[in-house]
Amino acid sequence: MTALLEARGVVKRFGGLTALDHVDITVGEGEMVGLIGPNGSGKTTLFDCLSRVSNVDEGSITFDGKDITRLRPHQVARLGMSRTFQVIRVYRDLTVSENLELSIQWEDLSAAGLFTKTDPGTRRKVESLLEFLLLAPLRNERAGVLSGGQRRLLEIGMALMSEPRLVLLDEATSGVNPTLVVDIADRLREVNRSGGVAFLLVEHNVRFVADLCQRVVVLDRGAKLAEGAPSRIMQDPAVVEAYFGAEGEGRK
Amino acid sequence: MGRGHSTQWPRGMVARGRLRHAGWTASVAILVFLFLLPLLPSVTNSTLFTLTLMLTTVGVAVNWNLTGGFTGYVDFGHAVWFGIGAYTTAILVSLQSNGPQIGWSPIPAIGLGALVAGLLAAVIGRATMRLKGPYFSIAMLGTFVAMREIVRVSGITGGGVGLTLPPYLNRPLFYYIQLVLVVALVTFTWWLRRTRFGAALVAIREDEIGAEMRGIDTTHFKVSVFSFAGFSTGLFGGLWAYQNTFVDPDIAFVEVRTVDAVMSTMLGGLGTVAGPVVGAVALYWLREVLWANLLDYHLLTQGALLIVIVLFIPRGLVGLVDRRGTSVTTLWGRWLGRGVDRTKQEDEP
Repeated sequence: MTALLEARGVVKRFGGLTALDHVDITVGEGEMVGLIGPNGSGKTTLFDCLSRVSNVDEGSITFDGKDITRLRPHQVARLGMSRTFQVIRVYRDLTVSENLELSIQWEDLSAAGLFTKTDPGTRRKVESLLEFLLLAPLRNERAGVLSGGQRRLLEIGMALMSEPRLVLLDEATSGVNPTLVVDIADRLREVNRSGGVAFLLVEHNVRFVADLCQRVVVLDRGAKLAEGAPSRIMQDPAVVEAYFGAEGEGRK
Repeated sequence: MGRGHSTQWPRGMVARGRLRHAGWTASVAILVFLFLLPLLPSVTNSTLFTLTLMLTTVGVAVNWNLTGGFTGYVDFGHAVWFGIGAYTTAILVSLQSNGPQIGWSPIPAIGLGALVAGLLAAVIGRATMRLKGPYFSIAMLGTFVAMREIVRVSGITGGGVGLTLPPYLNRPLFYYIQLVLVVALVTFTWWLRRTRFGAALVAIREDEIGAEMRGIDTTHFKVSVFSFAGFSTGLFGGLWAYQNTFVDPDIAFVEVRTVDAVMSTMLGGLGTVAGPVVGAVALYWLREVLWANLLDYHLLTQGALLIVIVLFIPRGLVGLVDRRGTSVTTLWGRWLGRGVDRTKQEDEP
């Protein structure tokens, strides 16, 4: 499988704390990869580095063969990488539709396109995503009044709106009711199968990761602890210890 | 998830729609009245000058709203562009030599003054707009103070003594010029807000990192609008200098001009198109009518007004009917870097 995203030896320090210590990670074209680890293991920091929200101190990141280590986030987004955030980032004072309309592929816009209202093609895409994400009845509501789960769905929609090749999903099921988790999983699977979109998922919901991903990477204290198929990773004693404490104490 | 739930128009939304319609009708009526005003025999040059100054306040507030209200960058030094426009115009029209008169005629002088203000805004904005929240605000305040002192010690600006411009006191002409400019500026703002460019500015205000991550080159957008605001405020500065026939550092670079713009926008409605217009007119009316009779208490009244806005109408007067702007409390929260941690309660309509 061709590597779409490849990070080599990524180091990120915050003062004396090494948040990421020579982390390597690869995501192939159309692959679904899970990134798990206990709290504070560096998952979100790695996401921030990969999406260029944060600078790396050492190492390199390539996307589709291009070195993106020093690019700005909007440049990475225009190459085809989008993401969601652990703390939901939607434009709260704008409507649900406007949030999606603003998440287009900006690089495709001409100067004239920049100074027009949204075009029929974008509107169709917005409507189709609203239906797909079960948000159609809320299209004219301000995003600020949506529930946490609805905002999660909207944020996923915003990440999909630009037709990316890779989506980084940071805790997409956090604070979402179990029924909606199943809906989210169904939709991600559908986007992956029909559009060939690759996903890198940070998740605490291990079952969600195991159901969706072909491969799982485990981080612990800023370093890669294990990598492999979900079934093998779940049985790995080092992972069990890092996640659930010594000898799987308290594991359910 | 609300499957099968049908969209209905809430009663509040219908009422707001009616109010908006009434607002449009009232705006057209007021505009017709303002265009006919100089023809009334009872209207003196003094009244027209007062109205022209009010239109200046409106124009500066609309420009401030482009960066402060739409983009969320609270500029405490916006009056610097007014001063630069005023001074460039004053220098050009008052040029003297021993031979023939070499002073520029007003239109190109005012135009170049605005251009200089816009270009400087592009250069300074590229540096200061890397900063966020209070850091940006203080950097702009510093720019304002530094520019005033540069003007005070420079020879070409006349130093602390200032410059005298040739008299040209056609009040009705300047009233009409400023009225047309303000109408054009408000129309431009209305149009811009409806474009993707305008929506991108709002996205930057709402969540700059999120906007970047969704492909918006935030630096390009915010510096562009900041430069335009500088250009436009420079234009009003040049017009003011020409009418005032005199400039010195303490009247061209005056902090109150920024304070008025901020207060007008907050009173009218941050991030709305009509907000700064309504706010500036209300503020001007308060100052001319109410504060003239309460001279000793005018600062107290101004402070009380600010408290009333924050406590009771955080979305401003226009925000009562138009929800497309933002509130003082939200902007304040973002200004302090708490943008994504706002409570649910704050978001409730």
